[in-house]
Amino acid sequence: MISRIWRPIKEGFLGVFRHGSMSSSSCIAVTVTLGIISLFLLFSVNVGQFTQGIEQSVEISATVDYSYESAQQEDRISLAIQSIDGVDTVTYYTKDEEFQYYLDSFSSEETKEAFRPFEGENNPMHDTFYVTVKDGQDLEAAATAIQAIEGIDSVNFGGASAVKLMRVLRSIRFAGWFVALLTSLLAVLLISNTIKVTITARADEIAIMRNVGARNGFIRSPFVVEGIIIGALGAIIPVAVMIYLYRSLYEFTGGYLISQMFTLVPPDTILPYAVVILAGIGILVGLLGSFFSVTRYLRWKR
Amino acid sequence: MIECVHVYKKYKNGVNALYDINFKVEQGEFVYIIGPTGSGKSTLIKLLDGEEIPTKGTVKVVGIDVGKLRHSKVPVYRRNIGVVFQDFKLLPTKTVFENISYALEVINLRKDLIRRRVREVMNLVGLDEKGNSFPRELSGGQQQRVAVARAIANRPKVLIADEPTGNLDPSMSDEIMALLEKINREYGTTILMVTHDLTIVNKHRKRTVVLEHGHIVADLAEGGYVQHDQ
Repeated sequence: MISRIWRPIKEGFLGVFRHGSMSSSSCIAVTVTLGIISLFLLFSVNVGQFTQGIEQSVEISATVDYSYESAQQEDRISLAIQSIDGVDTVTYYTKDEEFQYYLDSFSSEETKEAFRPFEGENNPMHDTFYVTVKDGQDLEAAATAIQAIEGIDSVNFGGASAVKLMRVLRSIRFAGWFVALLTSLLAVLLISNTIKVTITARADEIAIMRNVGARNGFIRSPFVVEGIIIGALGAIIPVAVMIYLYRSLYEFTGGYLISQMFTLVPPDTILPYAVVILAGIGILVGLLGSFFSVTRYLRWKR
Repeated sequence: MIECVHVYKKYKNGVNALYDINFKVEQGEFVYIIGPTGSGKSTLIKLLDGEEIPTKGTVKVVGIDVGKLRHSKVPVYRRNIGVVFQDFKLLPTKTVFENISYALEVINLRKDLIRRRVREVMNLVGLDEKGNSFPRELSGGQQQRVAVARAIANRPKVLIADEPTGNLDPSMSDEIMALLEKINREYGTTILMVTHDLTIVNKHRKRTVVLEHGHIVADLAEGGYVQHDQ
């Protein structure tokens, strides 16, 4: 009974070893394609992270018209903003706080002194609501909705450029995932094709095995183990290189590109998933590729 | 042991290979099937080992209707018969020992029994020393002896040999013939041997079935080949 489990495993390893050149060419096919997949995978995840970071940092400022500054009116406006779809947080600052914030932005006392006349009654600032949205895509819609509330003077959210940047990042991320998916499909084809070729070279062997009385499952199992081993072996190099390069990149850049806005995903967060995905693709494709190829050649002769 | 009743075989490409083949081989017999190229010898072998299905008629070996077998059951049927091929059909990446033991592993025989039986048959065919060699390291005659050892390892009741001496020189052919006769004599294995080697047929006289153009034209209990007038 135990031999039924161990035989295919032993024979599988033996097969990889004895068909050295065919095994290594299959391994290389796996290595190359998994390498390409890992590039696009990491790229897409990070662009996703950028988009999210930017979306979260953008907020809408809505100023209150001078004639709606009563506490009653502002409570109504605050509630109205909160009830808009997609709104996350609403923070309120009085015009005095706004003015103080503005003053604090100057370092020289002289300049600050020059603004003194505008304090108190003459304060040109507005009471202001700062609004963040849950999803960057809702930004424009939320801004329009806030503008429509009675008593709102003006609405500002970094304008069209922020929206455009987010759109660009979104399409880059989409393209990244698309390419990752496409290369994965390509990998499946390339790897299973290479395995198919190596098994075709052994079609005679399969026929001989049937000649001496081996059932289909008995013939198939070592080949499937071989496919799994080849997939796993082929995944080792791209996985190791990916871990090393990504960690180096992360350390070299300090965790972000150009500015804090483009924060990289920390290696410890992303790499475990990436390793599982890559090794999984390698092993699964090796398994299925060999399974279907052997099955085909089992039917080749009676 | 072997029984063909009104067997016809017509291939998909329209070639007619066998017409109304009727013959019976009893247990312990040693029978030659001879005939020129294209006479249907190979087709007959393929019908017997389950590789082809008769168009009409029944082929029965050890009581099993070979033509009615499902694809997945064909290998299981083959455990009852041993087949020796002209091109040996050894697994190139397995050693001599492994090639023979494979035929026993497939029936889930215990490991120690497999080892004992493989040594036994290797001794029988005179290849005690070659267990760790790969087929490519052996001469043609040695490879054919490995194939014979593999075919009989499982103690089959029937041994089918398809031109077993076709690729061998005369002295090696005699070696193989001596081996087959020994197996026939000592184990009582029924042997059906396809050949076009008339020297052998005339030297080792046995019942001889003559095929020509897909018909049985003679079945000579005395053996020896009779040349027909063309």
